[in-house]
Amino acid sequence: MTTALLSLAALLLGGAWMAAVMDRLAVAWISGRPAARAFVEPLARAAGLLLRQPVTTERPDATGRVLAPALYLALAAIGLSVVPVAEGVVLTDLSTGIVLWGACEALTVVVVFLHGWSANAPLPLIGAYRYVAIALPTLLLSMFVLIAAALPAESLSVTAIVDSQREVWNVVRQPPGLVLFLMLGLALTFRGPFDYADPEDLAGGTAAETSGPARAAWQAARLCMLVAVAGMASAVFLGGPLGPWLPGPLWLVLKMVAVLALLVAATHLLARLPPSRMLTALWVVLLPAAFLDLVLVGVELLL
Amino acid sequence: MAVSLLARLAAAAPAPVFAVAGIDGLRAVERLALDPRVELVASPRHAAILLVAGEIRPEDRADLYRLHDQMPHPRATVWWASEPLFAGIPVGPHGFPAGDLADLHRALAARAMDSDPDILPDEPPNPWRGKGDYGQGGEGMMGGTPYGRPMAMTADDLRDGLALDAYSATFGPFLPAFPPGLVLDLTLQGDVIQSAEVLRPPYLQHELRGPAAYLRRAARLVRLLGLPAVAERLRRRPEGCGALARTGVFAAIPAGLGRLGGYDVRDRLRAWCEERTPPPLPEEARLAPLLPGLEWHAAVLVINSFTDAELRSLCGAREVAA
Repeated sequence: MTTALLSLAALLLGGAWMAAVMDRLAVAWISGRPAARAFVEPLARAAGLLLRQPVTTERPDATGRVLAPALYLALAAIGLSVVPVAEGVVLTDLSTGIVLWGACEALTVVVVFLHGWSANAPLPLIGAYRYVAIALPTLLLSMFVLIAAALPAESLSVTAIVDSQREVWNVVRQPPGLVLFLMLGLALTFRGPFDYADPEDLAGGTAAETSGPARAAWQAARLCMLVAVAGMASAVFLGGPLGPWLPGPLWLVLKMVAVLALLVAATHLLARLPPSRMLTALWVVLLPAAFLDLVLVGVELLL
Repeated sequence: MAVSLLARLAAAAPAPVFAVAGIDGLRAVERLALDPRVELVASPRHAAILLVAGEIRPEDRADLYRLHDQMPHPRATVWWASEPLFAGIPVGPHGFPAGDLADLHRALAARAMDSDPDILPDEPPNPWRGKGDYGQGGEGMMGGTPYGRPMAMTADDLRDGLALDAYSATFGPFLPAFPPGLVLDLTLQGDVIQSAEVLRPPYLQHELRGPAAYLRRAARLVRLLGLPAVAERLRRRPEGCGALARTGVFAAIPAGLGRLGGYDVRDRLRAWCEERTPPPLPEEARLAPLLPGLEWHAAVLVINSFTDAELRSLCGAREVAA
């Protein structure tokens, strides 16, 4: 229990820092800007935010403003807690781990909306509305994909899903599943092509009115959720801690870093569609694709 | 002790600056954006330093005061080629303030200087004019203009006839997604614009010529499509837009969006990438009729798909569209 708790905290904190460093490196590499301080810069930015004042807006929903980043961080931690760190080491060993993760996904939509709503200002509210419209179909997509991954294991437990990949990883059996799950990951953390909550055209969207420590908390929670997504993707599609020669936890970390690299690259290299275009793509192309993925896996298992 | 450690750590980050470009100030701000010592942020709430580059119109001064007061403490102001309207550090038109901004950021983090005080009193900009059941002047708990700002009230949606809350607000003149100086009065339902009115045109900007000018315009659009790093590369390495198609920017822009003079937003971006000038806009064309029915994101793309001079002519007269 203690081992699992400590490793969860280490994964979340270390992973969040790692993801922020990878973000800086990706920006430097793409834009041609010097990357000299990439390893310190995320911490330096956080320190700068902690030193600035948290401004309140006129008549905000004060409880909501405090709760939103805290709940978002909690959802990331709870989501990651169903991922086995090594064989037999998992904080929340539920027979319905996938369902708990799904609940965290769904509640993320509520929390992000709360963040935009609670500022009592137009740009954050537009970000909040927009996020709900895009995130709902994305969640449906993830349900199909995760059920398809659970089918070969005949269990909703993440430990069982990892176990079912001893012979062959799910990414080989159902490659579209990983791609669709990574899209969900970008939507849950509103990054790059799925940044409909906090984009630049809304001056920071739900976070447009957030400053100082509150902004640091929100950014940290976003990074932690990205780490949780990488952990879940590694467990469900890449065999989690399974692997030869190296110890299990190291395998998990390596796989998570690889998934983070993919997510960071997609963040900075893929354009964002206007929301109505994305909505059409989600309902007309991606959702049927996710359903087809599920049907194909089902048929393959029957044969 | 802990604070001084944080202050030392914070000094390693680029200075978070909210840049306000005034008359002929945009080019200077865009040059500053390439300096690694400075990070131009999208909201005054995210900034430690307010940079005003170029002169500000008299009618925009109240907006600038409000924007200044929205910044978190500790904060400071730098006036670059601009007559100071309140306290701050002046930098001449031939200076380049990146180093000053970094020093200022360090001093603010270490509490080595006083934070700018508020300019305006902390009270609502308009008096309470409430009447009716709940004192706000609308129906039930909705509508009315309690502090001179209209509250949301249900109205028919333009696209599907659903009755949703319509909300009116003024956007600009210093919203980073808009060209500097542009002020729009918009009525929105969700993120769909129901009606638009141009209140103030964008500032006059000195037009550059040549490949760099085309790339700067393309970079603005690419940035708003969620690709700031790719946009910076366009400006930093003048290798053209060759790799741009792989990022999906052209596919992301809907066909026919903002079509004027036979060219839509996608065509204008493509023309800039190929260092061509799109055909001139029809003289009678206006910005306000282009916006109703568009989502916020699409509207921002349309507004940024014109050159500064074109946009000024599109905003030429005060007009209303619904």
